[in-house]
Amino acid sequence: MLFLQLLFNGIQTGAIYALTAAGFALIFGATRIFHVAHGASFALAGYAFLMCSQAGLPWPVGCLAALAVAVAFGLGMDAFIYRPIQRHEGSFFTVFVAAFGMTIVVQSLIEIGFGRGFAVVPSALTMAKEVMPGLYLANIFWVAVGVAVVLFAIVGLFLERTRAGIGLRALSENPELLRAYGLSSRKLSALAFGLGSALTVPGAVLTAVTSGLQPAISAQVMLISLASAVVGGIGSLRGAALAGLLLGVVENLVISVLDTQWSSAAGFVVLFIFILFKPSGLFGQAVTR
Amino acid sequence: MTDLPLSVRGLNKKFGGLTAVQDVDLDLQAGICTALVGPNGAGKTTIFNLITGNIPPDAGEVLVNGKPVRGMVPHRIARMGVARSFQDLRLFGRMSVRDNVLAAIEHSAWLWQPGGGAARRAREAAVDAALDRTGLTALADARAADLAYAERKFLSMARILATGGRIWLLDEPASGLDPHSRARFVSLVRSAVADGVTICLIEHNLDIVTELATRIAFLDRGAKLAEGEPQAILRDPELIGIYFGERRT
Amino acid sequence: MIAYLLNLATLATVFGILAASLNLLIGYAGIFSIAHAVFFGIGAYTGAQLAILFIPDVLLACLAGGVLAGALSLCLALPALRVRGEYFVAASLGLQMMAVTLFSEAHSLTGGHGGLVGIPMPTLFGIDISEPATFLVFCLLVLGGVLLAIRMLMRGSFGRALMAIRDSESAAEAFGKDVPRLKTLAVGLGCTLAGVAGALFAFYMAFVNVESFTLEQSILVMAMVIIGGTATLAGPLVGVLLLLLLPAALSFLPFIPPTQIGAVQQLIYGGAMTLLMIFRPAGLAGQSTGRR
Ligand SMILES: Nc1ncnc2c1ncn2[C@@H]1O[C@H](COP(=O)(O)OP(=O)(O)OP(=O)(O)O)[C@@H](O)[C@H]1O
Ligand SMILES: [Mg+2]
Repeated sequence: MLFLQLLFNGIQTGAIYALTAAGFALIFGATRIFHVAHGASFALAGYAFLMCSQAGLPWPVGCLAALAVAVAFGLGMDAFIYRPIQRHEGSFFTVFVAAFGMTIVVQSLIEIGFGRGFAVVPSALTMAKEVMPGLYLANIFWVAVGVAVVLFAIVGLFLERTRAGIGLRALSENPELLRAYGLSSRKLSALAFGLGSALTVPGAVLTAVTSGLQPAISAQVMLISLASAVVGGIGSLRGAALAGLLLGVVENLVISVLDTQWSSAAGFVVLFIFILFKPSGLFGQAVTR
Repeated sequence: MTDLPLSVRGLNKKFGGLTAVQDVDLDLQAGICTALVGPNGAGKTTIFNLITGNIPPDAGEVLVNGKPVRGMVPHRIARMGVARSFQDLRLFGRMSVRDNVLAAIEHSAWLWQPGGGAARRAREAAVDAALDRTGLTALADARAADLAYAERKFLSMARILATGGRIWLLDEPASGLDPHSRARFVSLVRSAVADGVTICLIEHNLDIVTELATRIAFLDRGAKLAEGEPQAILRDPELIGIYFGERRT
Repeated sequence: MIAYLLNLATLATVFGILAASLNLLIGYAGIFSIAHAVFFGIGAYTGAQLAILFIPDVLLACLAGGVLAGALSLCLALPALRVRGEYFVAASLGLQMMAVTLFSEAHSLTGGHGGLVGIPMPTLFGIDISEPATFLVFCLLVLGGVLLAIRMLMRGSFGRALMAIRDSESAAEAFGKDVPRLKTLAVGLGCTLAGVAGALFAFYMAFVNVESFTLEQSILVMAMVIIGGTATLAGPLVGVLLLLLLPAALSFLPFIPPTQIGAVQQLIYGGAMTLLMIFRPAGLAGQSTGRR
């Protein structure tokens, strides 16, 4: 039963990771920017939600506030950090360091504002019930899985069916096509940042009500996003989502044989295995340098 | 029969659904300049990338001096005497002009180069000669990224020149040059050919092609449509039509 | 006061070695490692264990720490350098996280969370050099040696090869450079020097635990290199001085509560990294990228 319990826990974590990693992959796919400040979007969304709950506002307001903050941060990074850098140089290194710097800034601001400790938003949804002998599930599990499924369906439809969605995919595959479509790459890159950052919100809110937030969460989310991008195949949205799920499950299952402190290390063992044996990831093309 | 410096047999490459190179055979005759001509996206640069091992072919093989180079990594192929330029130059931007050329001829992957002082002086002499022939001596200490456009183009030639490689693959080395620089470039390539270097030149300017090339291979949408003497190719109305953008249906 | 200054100077020297070694990777070779504190840590634990179990000779400790850190760095370099730069970043971040867990769990090697205590006073060929001024002089000598070695290597063909790879990997390959091997060599060398810095650090602190080898430490060293200026000899040293003096300077500001100094310091160097990348990517001591 422990195994089943851990599997379900893993799926819940994995759903959160999958959404977040998909946002990262969407941004990378469309703009070729390695948006390591993605974790900062996540943290900001989570703390925005926390503030609203502490102020006694109803949860939908909190979610909207989280959404607004995350999207604003993503768009701001695109407009005020990445674009000026790409205007003069735009090497991987420069973009990476700038985004990394912003992650540190956000993390320390949160630390100044909220302290270093964990902060949890209490919720009735997290009350676990015994659904089978030895298997405890809270309603939040179904919320997490449901939200992930619905959002992936929506994002999938958006990318397949709408003009802007097709434009986003074209941007990653063949920028030349864009001109034929009459879409501006600048607007599309803003769209990618908006949408990608919005995808951190469910994960952030769910984390706030379950395991809790702490300032260092931005670095953890950044790691998960990076690892999922690599494991899934760089630039592949489907791959990143699947890899996020995989990492979440592995982190939890490992607890059945090792102590809990090894759980996040296990995720990175998966990462190394992929780098060693399948660097193209689950869905990527050959990328040997 | 002596081996050809470079020949390509049945080369194929697809990128996803796009066929970039299709069943291309190409022979470079020793000591002449062969031009690779074709409209944008014809697959010319991709052929270079396949030859130098930058990307693996889906099918086909590349022979350098008669030896197949399948599966070899780019630096091994380079050390067989294949030197190339890049359409987007790829200079070592934050290094000086001299260091750009010097770095191009130091092959040891260790903390220092073998051969001691004598070998070092020989390398320095090769660098000086290359800078001299490309007119960059006065700019030897400037940073590559700070050079003017034409100077950057000549620096990319200097790197090749210094290697002493006998097979040169030049990817649009003269595009965007002013008439004066273009004339200097033509004479540079001519003297290399006179020294017996085998050259494959990708070039859009047909005047330069007629001036330098002894043979032309004509490519469109990944396939080689024709190969032959410049006069024959450049007088073929159908090829010229394709070249200047009348698409076949 | 003198003691305080000596202390600070020794710390700055140790971090100078560490930052210079990271600069070899980031600045010259264009290899972006966020796991440098791991190799610093391996050097520190090795030096500490050697001193505790066998002999507290600094030179031996530096050698052992450097060799072990360099050897273990190959475990990261060999797989991760075969693929694109983004992978190395991801892999090094992963390694950093795993290593912290390892450091705090492998009690017999690292003493776990409690760390290794009671590191004996440093000696050199049997002579006691635990006097702060003497130890500082020794550290300065090591720093000098490291800087000299880096300067000679980077002005020679090895440096040219690394910088060529940094500026254009595909062109470097096309001109006969064995890129994976050169990069592996750079990682091995950089991490060896980090191990040397670690061994010195162990003697300086007389106690080591995992707190000094976390992601935050890796980021701090990275910030030192980047803010000071990559690919210059002086840049990392400038960065070290600025970032080590920053907490001291902040503590003079009355409106910052002492508990917040760490966060404010991070805020400042995070912001500085971002602003520098927008306005002056070469760092404070680097040449500006003026174009003609
Ligand atoms: N690495 C790659 N991945 C995907 N598609 C590629 C890649 N390299 C080239 N292509 C595609 O292959 C086709 C041929 O490209 P190639 O660069 O060889 O053309 P070219 O003849 O050199 O054109 P030009 O004269 O514009 O330089 C193009 O449609 C291009 O978009
Ligand atoms: Mg081309």
